[in-house]
Amino acid sequence: MTGRALTRRTVLRTLGAGAAATAFMPWLSDEGLAAFAHIQAAKAPPRPRVLSVPQYATVEALVEAIIPADERSPGAREARVADYVDLLLSEAEDAVKQEWLDGLTALDVDATRRFGAPFVRLDPGQLDALLADLSRSERTAQKSPLEAFFAMTKQATVQGYYTSEIGIHKELRYKGNQLLAEFTGCQTQDGKDCPYCGQKAEGR
Amino acid sequence: MAADPTLDLDLAAVTDESRRLASSIKPGSGPWDVIIVGSGAAGGMAAYQLATAGVKVLMLEAGRMLDYPKEYRTMEWPYQSMRRSRLPPDHRPIAVAEYSFLDRPYGNNPVFDKYRKITSYAGNSFTRNWVVNEKEHPTTGTPYSWVRARVLGGKTNFWGRGALRYGPLQFKAASRDGYDVDWPIAYEDVAPYYDKVDVLLGCSGTKEGLVQVPDGVFQRPTKLNCVEVAFQRAIAKMGRHYIPGRAGVTTEGVLNKYRARCLGRGRCGRGCDISAAFHSPTALVFPARDTGHLSVRPYSVVSEVILDGTTGRAAGVRVIDANTREVMEFKARVVVLGAGTLDTTRILLNSKSSRHPEGLGNSSGRLGCHLSEHAMGPRGSGFIPVRIGTEPTLDDGRPITPYVPRFRNVTDRHPDFIRGYHFQGGGGCYEYPGLAHDLPGYGKAFKSSVRKYYPAMISLGGFGEVLPRRENRVMLDSEVKDAWGIPVLRFDYRFGDNELKMAKDMADTVEEMLAAAGAESIKVERELLPPGWSIHEIGTARMGDDPKQSVTDKFCRLHDVDNVYLADASPFVSGGTQNTTWSILAMCWRTMDHLKEQLRSGEL
Repeated sequence: MTGRALTRRTVLRTLGAGAAATAFMPWLSDEGLAAFAHIQAAKAPPRPRVLSVPQYATVEALVEAIIPADERSPGAREARVADYVDLLLSEAEDAVKQEWLDGLTALDVDATRRFGAPFVRLDPGQLDALLADLSRSERTAQKSPLEAFFAMTKQATVQGYYTSEIGIHKELRYKGNQLLAEFTGCQTQDGKDCPYCGQKAEGR
Repeated sequence: MAADPTLDLDLAAVTDESRRLASSIKPGSGPWDVIIVGSGAAGGMAAYQLATAGVKVLMLEAGRMLDYPKEYRTMEWPYQSMRRSRLPPDHRPIAVAEYSFLDRPYGNNPVFDKYRKITSYAGNSFTRNWVVNEKEHPTTGTPYSWVRARVLGGKTNFWGRGALRYGPLQFKAASRDGYDVDWPIAYEDVAPYYDKVDVLLGCSGTKEGLVQVPDGVFQRPTKLNCVEVAFQRAIAKMGRHYIPGRAGVTTEGVLNKYRARCLGRGRCGRGCDISAAFHSPTALVFPARDTGHLSVRPYSVVSEVILDGTTGRAAGVRVIDANTREVMEFKARVVVLGAGTLDTTRILLNSKSSRHPEGLGNSSGRLGCHLSEHAMGPRGSGFIPVRIGTEPTLDDGRPITPYVPRFRNVTDRHPDFIRGYHFQGGGGCYEYPGLAHDLPGYGKAFKSSVRKYYPAMISLGGFGEVLPRRENRVMLDSEVKDAWGIPVLRFDYRFGDNELKMAKDMADTVEEMLAAAGAESIKVERELLPPGWSIHEIGTARMGDDPKQSVTDKFCRLHDVDNVYLADASPFVSGGTQNTTWSILAMCWRTMDHLKEQLRSGEL
């Protein structure tokens, strides 16, 4: 078995930064997912595996800033996305974990340099100014380490939030996964005008 | 963190049952008329046809039995704490990019040293107990994502349910474009069997009268949701069809005590726990076993077909018990191989003797050649305006998405490539909003943009015929062996010019159709996925009338040995754009009718 010892990171680099960001530690085990579910269900106090207490607070603030509570549903903080990120880190390769933790430190350094306060103490205007800058290069391949950190964290936040009970039921109001006598579909399929999309029945 | 005690799926009962069966069924336990290798679509249908006709059958499955009420976990939520299976950190699937970047055998690559189990891309928390460990089942040669499942029912436990027929355009493809050869049979030879499969197993669909994908005997069809109707109306103006998917799922019930009709949960790929979706164990194997004529022996890894030195016919098969490693020989009058196209081919290649030095059934030298499947990768997505900003509806309560039947080289002649492709896919509100990964921004604006576009998403992916080419082939590796000491397959398989041109056209046409539907934020993926991704492999023991050019006759029986039949897709000559399973079932039924006649007449 000779093999070029291509590492996963090399592969991801070859694919470009955008793909790497999406693939931010995607291998959370089912055990990890279930543990995450347990945290959510039990509303247990956080017991992070990797993050220190201040780091956990920073991550909570960051994920809530990415997906905040609004009039429709709670945000990433209540959905315990910080715990999800911690679980991802606990199962990540050491180098990836370190790169991400360095990003977290750099976030506070940036916040302090610009506003004289760590990330968790920024007011909404300052938070917005900082995130606006960090997300500017979101869709380009060239990113600073801090921008790459933001992109990775956003992908993990999306993943953690929209697989949570809050994300699926309260925010998306997903209606599937029920026992149906028959799937209805668009009402035009039954020869009616559809109230959900406004399309008219065929031939009208 | 305390481990959730419900995480582990307790498979003790089914592994005990498997061991009991394996130890109780010995070479002397017969006699059996027919040995069937494999228990998926092919093995299941073969067993059902033979056992219900009173033929004594021994089915050999390389994996274990299946505890289907426990293992099919249809309605699980991602956040559910009662999670009964887990993908531990020492287990992971091969990522798409790794198929092309990592040297083979994948499982033995140093990158994966720290993992205990490496599976094909199809490995997930629902399939992980079924799909094979690449470390035990290596492959060599060119990149190929060979998905295998060693468990009762094989890949039918998580198949995609696409139940499409080949039609005249497939059986007589060469007559239309001059490439390669026709099948030695016509659509009319198989059509009655497709009808019977539809009735026996249940097929949901609509009659459309399209030559490129003939109609069947359908049960209640699925419906299109709002975004799909908009797409359908837009492409109808281009003369293209977008029809309800045809699913190997019973929506109105079938005469089978193990199966119920579809309840629209839409989580079929995890195994349908009411078996409304076709899965070989509940649809075929258990009913066959209930006749009293079928014995199923699990943990039975078949290494080769053995010959009777006097008659030159097959005498049976050599089996390595996957647990005890005991090697034994099971004998019967007839051997039916249904291990899946590539494993069936591997068994034949490994059945070497002085009479058949290049493998059994290989006097033509064609065994292992003409590997074909479907080229995948080009796909497109976008947001359909009529649903942007609307409240979510129940859009996924059905077993399959709609599809766009082939429109190239049906009545016209494309200047760049022969044959064709189809698209499968749909849209609307699915449980996970994958679109959120592509939307820019953060904060309330980001969150509300996700819910704004969530009901409007539509996404379609292409399946293109890979031309059957003699040089696209598998052979036995001269050095690498699997965990049971059996030589592994070495792939020599590449997409050719026709596939590359077709892929370009797929990307162009999906973009054009999304644009016609007025979709916003159209995103088009143009790259091909790794070879094998379709899991629609066919053709490595092709059928034909000329024994010098083909491996089996038109009844899927080896030209060289008249009591060995192939029940899977290995004899298929060309595969069109259609998903393969329904054709395996229909062809297998036809093959078994021939075999039964041979048994009845005393020929075998």
